[in-house]
Parts: sequence; C-alpha cells; structure tokens
Amino acid sequence: MGTLTDLITLLVDFVTSHAQILGIWVAAFFTLCIYSFLYRDNPFYRFAEHLFVGLSVGFGIVISIHQGLIPFAWDPFWEAVTKREFMGLLKLIPIAIGLLFFARLIPKYSWLIRYPIAILIGIGAGRAIPNVMDAFIFRQVHGTLTPFGKIHAGELGFFAIFGAILMLVGVICTLTYFFFSIEHRGVVGRISKVGIIFLMVGFGSAFGNTVMGRVSLLIQRVDFLLSDWLRLI
Amino acid sequence: MLEKLMSIDRRIVFILVAIAVIIPTLLNVRFPITVSQPTRSVYDFIDELPPDSTILMAFDYGPSSLAELEPMAAAVLRHCFSKNVRVIGMTLLNVGARLGDRVMSQTSAEMGAVDGEDYVFLGFRPGGISVILGMGTAIDSVFSADYRGKPLSEIPMMQDVKNYDHIALVLDLASSGTPSTWIAYINTKYKQQVAAGVTGVMVSELYPFIQSGQLVGLMPGLLGAAEYETLIDTPEKATAGMSVQSFVHLLIFVLVVVGNVAFFIQRRRAQ
Amino acid sequence: MRRQVPLILCFLFGIVMMLVEFSPHPVSEGLRAEVIEWDLIIGPFALVIGVVTLVHTHWIRIRRRVEHWQYSYLVFIGMIVMVAFGLPMGPKNGGNELPKWLEWFKWFKGPENEVFVWFFDNVQVPMEATMFSLLAFFIASASYRAFRARTLEATLLLAAAVIVMIGNAPIGDVLWNELSPVGENIPSTARQWILDNPNLSSRRGIILGVSLGVISQSIRIIFGIERSYLGGGD
Repeated sequence: MGTLTDLITLLVDFVTSHAQILGIWVAAFFTLCIYSFLYRDNPFYRFAEHLFVGLSVGFGIVISIHQGLIPFAWDPFWEAVTKREFMGLLKLIPIAIGLLFFARLIPKYSWLIRYPIAILIGIGAGRAIPNVMDAFIFRQVHGTLTPFGKIHAGELGFFAIFGAILMLVGVICTLTYFFFSIEHRGVVGRISKVGIIFLMVGFGSAFGNTVMGRVSLLIQRVDFLLSDWLRLI
Repeated sequence: MLEKLMSIDRRIVFILVAIAVIIPTLLNVRFPITVSQPTRSVYDFIDELPPDSTILMAFDYGPSSLAELEPMAAAVLRHCFSKNVRVIGMTLLNVGARLGDRVMSQTSAEMGAVDGEDYVFLGFRPGGISVILGMGTAIDSVFSADYRGKPLSEIPMMQDVKNYDHIALVLDLASSGTPSTWIAYINTKYKQQVAAGVTGVMVSELYPFIQSGQLVGLMPGLLGAAEYETLIDTPEKATAGMSVQSFVHLLIFVLVVVGNVAFFIQRRRAQ
Repeated sequence: MRRQVPLILCFLFGIVMMLVEFSPHPVSEGLRAEVIEWDLIIGPFALVIGVVTLVHTHWIRIRRRVEHWQYSYLVFIGMIVMVAFGLPMGPKNGGNELPKWLEWFKWFKGPENEVFVWFFDNVQVPMEATMFSLLAFFIASASYRAFRARTLEATLLLAAAVIVMIGNAPIGDVLWNELSPVGENIPSTARQWILDNPNLSSRRGIILGVSLGVISQSIRIIFGIERSYLGGGD
C-alpha cells in the first residue's frame, strides 16, 4: 500500500513540475490529430473531436455554475434564507421559475419549462422593439441622410458627394431586392438588379475578409508548432 | 493537361497552403503595415483619453478566434497601460472567462500594471443583453466580485466607477454578434461610446455603424491587431502573422486565376 | 395551464419591458431593474437543457450502437474530467481555500486550480483553434475549384474578394509601391473604398431589412401569434 501511494506521489510530482512542457506536447499532439483530417477522416481525428466536445461542455458547466448560478441564484437564496429579509425572499420567485428548467428531466412535467422560456422570450422581444428601432432603423437612416445636409451646406467635396449618392442608391436598391411583396419586374426589377450588384460586392468583400480570418487561425497554429513545440524559430 | 489541372487532388492544394505558411514563418519575413482609418480611430480615441480614465474591454471571443483577437487585446492593453488608462475586463461568453484572464494577467505583468488599480477582470456572467443593461444601472448589481472572487467594494479602481457614466469607451473584441448588441443596448440609451475589434469574417457587416457614428472605430481581425501594433510601435505576433498571411493571399489569388483561366479555355473548347 | 399561462407571461413581460424602455420615471426604472434581475436569475438555469440534450444524444448513440458509438464515451470522459476538477474550486485561480473534505486529494491543492485551467489551455483551446483553422485549407481549395467568373454577379463578387484580399495583405502595398510608378498604397486604398462604399450600402440595406423583421417577429411573439417556442404537444 505504502509503495502505491509513493508511486502516485512521485507521478503527481513529476506531472506538476513538468506541467508546462507536458502541456505543449499534449497541445501539439491534439493539433496534429485534428490536422490528420486533411488526409482523411480517421480514428485520431474522431478521438480528438469527441474529447473536445466533452471538455468544452464540461468547461461550460463549471463556468456557468461558478459565474452564473452561484452569484445570481445561490448567493441571493442563501442571503435571503440566513438573513430572513422579506425583500430578499422575493428573489426566491425567479429562482423557483428557473428551477422549472429541471422539469425537462421528468417527461410528465416537461411542459413546465415553457414558463421560464416564455418569460425569457417575452423579455427579449419586449426590449428588442424600442432598441432595434432606435439603433438599427432610425440611426441607420439618419446616417444615410446626414451627408445630404452637408452637401446642402456646401461642406463636401466631389468624392464625398459621389459617395453619399452612391450610398443612398445602394441602400434603396438593396432594400428593394429584399422587398418580396411586389413582383420584381419593370422598374422594380431593374432597381433590385442594381441591388444585387451592391450585394455581390458586399459579399465579395466579406469573402476576402473571411479568407484573412481563416488563414490567421492557421498561421497561429503553425507558429505554435514551429516555435513553442519544435523551437525552430 | 488541362483536365488534369482542373481535377487535381485537393490535398495538393492543402500542401501548397501549408508550404505558403511554413516557409515564411521559418524565414520570419516582415512587411510594413498600412494603417486603415477605422483602426486609427480606435487608437486616437484611447490615445486622447486623459490619464486615469476607464475603459471597458469585453473579451467576447473563444478559442476559435483567439489567433485574431488575442494579439489585438494585448496591443490595446499595452497602449492603455502605457497611457495610465484603467481597464475593466469582462466577457459575455463563458470561454472568454479564461481567455480574458490570461491575456490581461500576461500583458499587465509585462507592463507592470497592478491588479485592482490599473486593471480588473470581472469574468463572465450569463445573460447577454441583461448583463449589458444591468451594468448600466450598477456594475456591482451584475458583478458582485471580480473573477478571483474579490468583492468590487474592496477593489480600489472600482470605487469611482459605478456604471457607464464613468466609462469612457466600451471596446468589444468579438467573434459573434455581440458588437451590434452593445451598440443597440448601450450606445443609444446610455450614449456610451462603443468600439469593436472583430474577426475577419465579421468585418464587412459592421461598416454601416462606423459611418453612422455608432462605432468609434473598428479593428479588422489580425490585420487590425497588426495595425494597432504598428500604431503603438511594438511589432509582435500580429505583424509577423500578417506578413505570412501575404503569401497565402497571393497563393489563393494565383489559384483563383489559374482556376478561371483553365475554366475559360475549357469552355471555349467546348463551344 | 400548459399553453395559456406561458402566453400570458410572455405578453406581460414583453409589454412591461417595452414600455419601461421608453420611460425615465423612477418607478419604471425600478421595474426595469427588477425585470433585468429576473432575466439574469432565470437565464443560467437554461444550461440544463443544453447538457441534457447532449448527454441524451450520446447516450442514445451508445445504446443503439450507431457507427463510431465508442467515441461517445470520450464525450462523457471529457465532461466528467472538467466538472470533477473544476466544480469543487471553480475557475478562480486562487484566493479560495480548498474545502476540507477535498484535502486528501493531493493534486487539487495549490495556489491555482491548475488542472482545470491546464486542460482548458492545453487541450480544449488548441483543439478548437486547430479545428477552425482547417477552414483555411478548405477555403483555398474551394477558391480554386468553385470561384469562377461565370456571370456578371459572380465576376463582381470575385473581383471584390480579390481586391479586399490583396488590400488586406501587407505585401499588396509593398509590391505596388515598388513596381508601380503611380500612386501609393493603392491596394489597401481600394480595399478601404470597397468596404466604405458599396459594402456599406448593401450591409445597411440588410440591417434595415433584418431589423424590420426582428421588430415584426417580436410583436408577433408578444401578442401570441408566433408561439413556436412553446414546442409541440398541448
């Protein structure tokens, strides 16, 4: 028994004192496991993929409990119970409603989770209306039209005037393209065709930026393998 | 010949991509970076803040976009610490909790910034919009303690920072739709200045908010990070990364051209 | 009880939240703060749904012996490892003393909750980062095979993509400044023009369209016309 404890202690000491270098090797191993997918699907990739799903859910559970449930539900509950304050006890209502999510585990009562979901959805929908209207409609329309005030005041140069007109034309044409209530024929058809041109340039620019984003991720992984793991740089 | 070119195994393309990354990385190539206006605007805004101002940085990204946003976070933090601008870190994404903590403690150690005085990391709270709105009333109504469990009332720099009234700028480093959420819920209601640093995938969609003044500025992916590194004159990982990036972009450009030329020759022959 | 009450709750909370957003009165401000708190308290419990769904899916895979079912055990192992190491002390890197009942478990000890953080830093982060970096290879391959100037629209898309790509790469400006007798930094200037002008207009059109959709959908939800969130059954 004594030797087994000693062995475990020795192993643990070794692992803890070499945690950093072990970490780099483990990270490199899993990096290569995932890259093996480029050749074809294989057990190493599937091993890494499934382990990853489990770890990330486990991470999510821990963080959500420690940084969500404990400060928002457990702490107020504990305070209310120990201090016996009436106002504190009011917080037990949302906590109880939240607990209804556990009804998902009992098929007979699983309909009870509609209560918390309905409240969350109601809150989301209610506050979306004024804020979305203000930020994404009024302010965006305002942004489209402000340059014309400046044009009128003679503050803009030739290129800026051209840009302002182009922007207005682009916004109207794109919106027309998304306006499905009337058939896209004749003048409307031509306007929406211009809308497509703007959309295509927009999507093209998004594609160009996406390439940059994806390649950045690859560069970082290669940098890790070459410099942290193999120490070639 | 043409047929062969059109139907090469995609793994050959994969190898070309790998070579285009590995060789320039080994050679440590560096190109100068041209700074774009949206990034410069973020820099100027922070640079003009009086010392002891406070900004809030939201680390709303996960490991999948770490490569783009961590160098950006590090560059902005360096700038803030060197200007004595205080930084509150937090995140709306659970994975951001560890990532934010990591980059804040690493950069602060490098720059000699003190936890609780020059910066604080509050960690994660679930709830998205309600977290954002709750902090508008009182930050401590959402974050009663920092990531390490220290109550906000005991943190020196939080004594005079209670809500958005005391925050000069919210900078969202994001890999999902959070910048528009910050814009919709605090820029309009609390008149809070918002800036964003985002992954390449999201850059294009946020441009309308720059023109409308709802975003102070925008840092585009790894390029944004490299631009910021150039502005603070500390070329680091992002600058190196963008130089390597150049070769892959050139490769993809060549691939597109070759693919199209082959396509048109084939189409003409068919006609 | 099963459908009416949720619909009424959704209506009440929706209307209250909408109205208090407009009013700066102290009473409505208080109400607003209260609703926000309810949202914050109820929200985290939704975690249950996600975990139950995932566990259920993989449990079924194991029970039905679907192809590669053995790997589903790995999902459980990963989850258990993180929860077992993370839950007792949480993600906090110190400050908290270890609970007494755990002291026998030697490698929990230390100033930091090292194991949990170690697994995140060295297993979860590299795997997720690598998984998404695979897309760099696929996007390159797709560009070669499918990115064709077949029509006017496709040509515009391709041209914009190429200009932005070259404008983003620092080498674009370097080569231009070396080789071209006219202009400086033209590639990055062209990229910026595309983003600032045609891209901006089309994105704004999309934002306006989507926002109108969000508002009408929100109204439908509040008034119980849209009720798909209730799920099936009675």
